[in-house]
Amino acid sequence: MSDCCPGSKTMDFNEDDVQGEDETGARQSQLKQWPIQLHLVSPQAPYFQEKDILLAADCVPFALADFHKDHLKGKSLAIACPKLDSNQEIYVEKITDLIDESKINTLTVMIMQVPCCMGLSQIAKSGADKASRKIPVKQVVVGVEGGQVLSEEWL
Amino acid sequence: MENIMSKDIRAVIDQCPEVGRILEEYGIGCAPCSVGSCLVSDVVGIHGLDPQTEATLMYKMEKALYPDRDVPEPKVDMSKVVPKEINYSPAVKNLVDEHVLIKRMLALIPTIADFVENSETVDKDLVLNCVDFIRGYADKFHHMKEEDILFKYVDEQSEIIKIMYEDHVTGRNHVKNVVEGAENGNKAQVKEHLNGYRDLLTQHIKKEDEILYPWIERQMSDNQIGELFQRCSAADASVGEELPRKYEKFIIDLEEKFAKEN
Repeated sequence: MSDCCPGSKTMDFNEDDVQGEDETGARQSQLKQWPIQLHLVSPQAPYFQEKDILLAADCVPFALADFHKDHLKGKSLAIACPKLDSNQEIYVEKITDLIDESKINTLTVMIMQVPCCMGLSQIAKSGADKASRKIPVKQVVVGVEGGQVLSEEWL
Repeated sequence: MENIMSKDIRAVIDQCPEVGRILEEYGIGCAPCSVGSCLVSDVVGIHGLDPQTEATLMYKMEKALYPDRDVPEPKVDMSKVVPKEINYSPAVKNLVDEHVLIKRMLALIPTIADFVENSETVDKDLVLNCVDFIRGYADKFHHMKEEDILFKYVDEQSEIIKIMYEDHVTGRNHVKNVVEGAENGNKAQVKEHLNGYRDLLTQHIKKEDEILYPWIERQMSDNQIGELFQRCSAADASVGEELPRKYEKFIIDLEEKFAKEN
């Protein structure tokens, strides 16, 4: 792929830059449902009813070492890729259904800092705008290198 | 430093006025505060400074209070500290937006007070309509959402929340005096308490927008933020859309009236 697009630009994070210590012991998964891919989930699923929903771009969990503990805990999950997934109009409808029919409490959209990932925030915003109920929608942007949360804002 | 952290900020500033100046330097306006009963630990914690800035602030305060102590200076380049833009959640953003209409009323008060003073008799209708805005919009519609909903998400015994409640009570007393003055045709009483209300609410709103609301939101989970939004939306729905529209029109009409007269 071309290096022009930040979303697919080749980057090699030098091992010397990796911070943190080796950890031992098993950590508890915070995933409480299946499936998780946005095309596969039903907005009417019981695990979405009146819950706080995390809509994460596919790459996000790999970038954040503590994704389960810091972001997934206490939330129901859907994942999607705004760059590669097809039929994204269905995603918008599903977000609307989650808000209106499953009466979700909040929607947090986690995306990578690359420009194409903003598409997922747009999907969430379009779905929320079409819904008759209103809920708080938050955008969290994750850095590609270093795996840090760069910004958090209510939209 | 630990014992200072649990003291009232007013007592500390009285002991060492330089502390007030240092706080001012960091955008913490405790020195002119008339109450000053917040604990030093709350004052520092509530402003959500980044750790390095907070360490520098504490260092400067400690040096001012105890100049002979050997305290290592934290290394922070203040020129690189970028002020954080406040990002309110939707429910709190609505409360901040409601402040805008209240501030438009506050901006009119000096003109209204002068008008009352210079009129032959007190324009009772004008004064009581302003009181109706303060009671119906600022107090019932807005302050009740704070008292009945928002403040319940934090410790209501914390000094900062107690001060907010005291401000609300003091504001209601000013309004009571304005009504009494209007009923008795006492122009000086109306003017004094309208201006008193204006001064109080101006500081009160600034504290809420810049300090209190962000502090409360930092303590809330996403789940609570969603719940807060639904509860505030339900409270708004219970009074209907007409009430805020009616009071917005009142302010527009009042602005036009005094723009013409000036």
